[in-house]
Amino acid sequence: MSNSHLFLKPAFITTPGQNGVGRYVCQLQRVVLKFCMSHGSSRGVREFIETRLLEFVKESPEVAVYLKPRRHKSPIIKAEYLNGETQWVNARQFTDDEVLKWLNLLKSQSSNRSGVRLRKLMHTDFPSIQGPWTPYLFRDPQLNLARFPSEELSRPLHGTKTATQQLFEIFEKQKAAQNANSS
Amino acid sequence: MQSLRVISRLLGAQPLAGAQCRAVKRWVSPTMRVIVLRKKALGPQPEQRRSQFLEWNEEVELRCFSKRLGEEFEGKALREAFVQPEWANVQEFQARQAGDTAFEPVAHNRELAENGAQIISQTIRGAYAPSYPSDVVEGIHSHLTSQEMLAHVGKHLGIKDLIKSLEYPPEERSLADTFRALVGALALSSPPERVQRFVEDFLLCQMVGKDVYDIWAPAQPYEYMLRLLQAKGVEQVEPRLCNQSASNTILANFQVGLYDAKSKTCLGLGWGENIKTAKETAALDAIQRLHASD
Repeated sequence: MSNSHLFLKPAFITTPGQNGVGRYVCQLQRVVLKFCMSHGSSRGVREFIETRLLEFVKESPEVAVYLKPRRHKSPIIKAEYLNGETQWVNARQFTDDEVLKWLNLLKSQSSNRSGVRLRKLMHTDFPSIQGPWTPYLFRDPQLNLARFPSEELSRPLHGTKTATQQLFEIFEKQKAAQNANSS
Repeated sequence: MQSLRVISRLLGAQPLAGAQCRAVKRWVSPTMRVIVLRKKALGPQPEQRRSQFLEWNEEVELRCFSKRLGEEFEGKALREAFVQPEWANVQEFQARQAGDTAFEPVAHNRELAENGAQIISQTIRGAYAPSYPSDVVEGIHSHLTSQEMLAHVGKHLGIKDLIKSLEYPPEERSLADTFRALVGALALSSPPERVQRFVEDFLLCQMVGKDVYDIWAPAQPYEYMLRLLQAKGVEQVEPRLCNQSASNTILANFQVGLYDAKSKTCLGLGWGENIKTAKETAALDAIQRLHASD
């Protein structure tokens, strides 16, 4: 994560209302293109409306497109999503290509994604299919019958032999060897 | 600076584009200040109905709505599905008050909603009855047909702005009623298989990622399990304390297993912070296993 992402809101990938499980519903419900009929900054939007808007509307019949001319103001693309969010895109000095690209982006989004940083590109509600760990997982069944305090279980599991024990062992070996020789 | 210039242009301080304006007019700041103060004095304003905006065309909205669902509605039925009975009544009352004799009563969605509710219930029961006992099916049914769930589904189809109700934003009750009415309206214009498919695609898919036994649980699991077992011929159940750890502490943990007293087979295992909870959890586990084995 770089410094420029520090103040973005972190989020996970989500799907509103199980969209796409049954059938896919385009989450963009409405677009308002606000533009000026004479000002230069709206030129691209005007060109888009003249040449490519009908094509866009035919391709996406589920999006209601409104045109709102207003004098001497920057052109704006206002998008309304099904979850109630609204997104404004300042389309000042945009070319018609850029307008189309933005509209396609808005159409493929599920909500206003500006100012949001995805924490990961994948997300799951069930990180483990094995279930939670419990203290009894892989526990030796013998322990069920153990009586405490138990000398056997109180010993360290992987203790090294003490010097006395080693001496005892050597002594026992020597004794066994002597017994074998004498007999 | 830039925004102030924009504001001054908004207020008509500047002649048309092209003319140079190098200063912000001196009246802009006090005017804006007064506007802000007046807005503050007015207090929070109610949310405006989307249908009252200038850019609103109901014909287009309805057509887009049916395209969004991928369904064809008979024109009048869809329109009717969005009209709440209270709204229709008020409309009629106002016309009568104004002495309008030519006013025709607006058709509302009560009948459609009743019809739709029936179809929804049938579809849910039909989908779950083959694999779950009737208690569980009823639990799922009440979860899926709850007002909250139907309103949630409806809202994500975009019915909020299209509803004709007295209140705005519409209450959950209106949203749920409208969703039911939509199903009813679809039944008027499509074959039953298609309507069933609609309910499956939008309502039943809400069960994805949810555990049925998180939604449905009996109030007294141990007694419920005993009744189930009696029907199966198991008379006596032997609860055993299988494991315990950290007892007498705040992290106390017990594991209880339920065994068939005769055949000594395990019926269910459960955990809990005390033995009673663990026993009930074990009973829930046993119920799940019994349902799965049926």
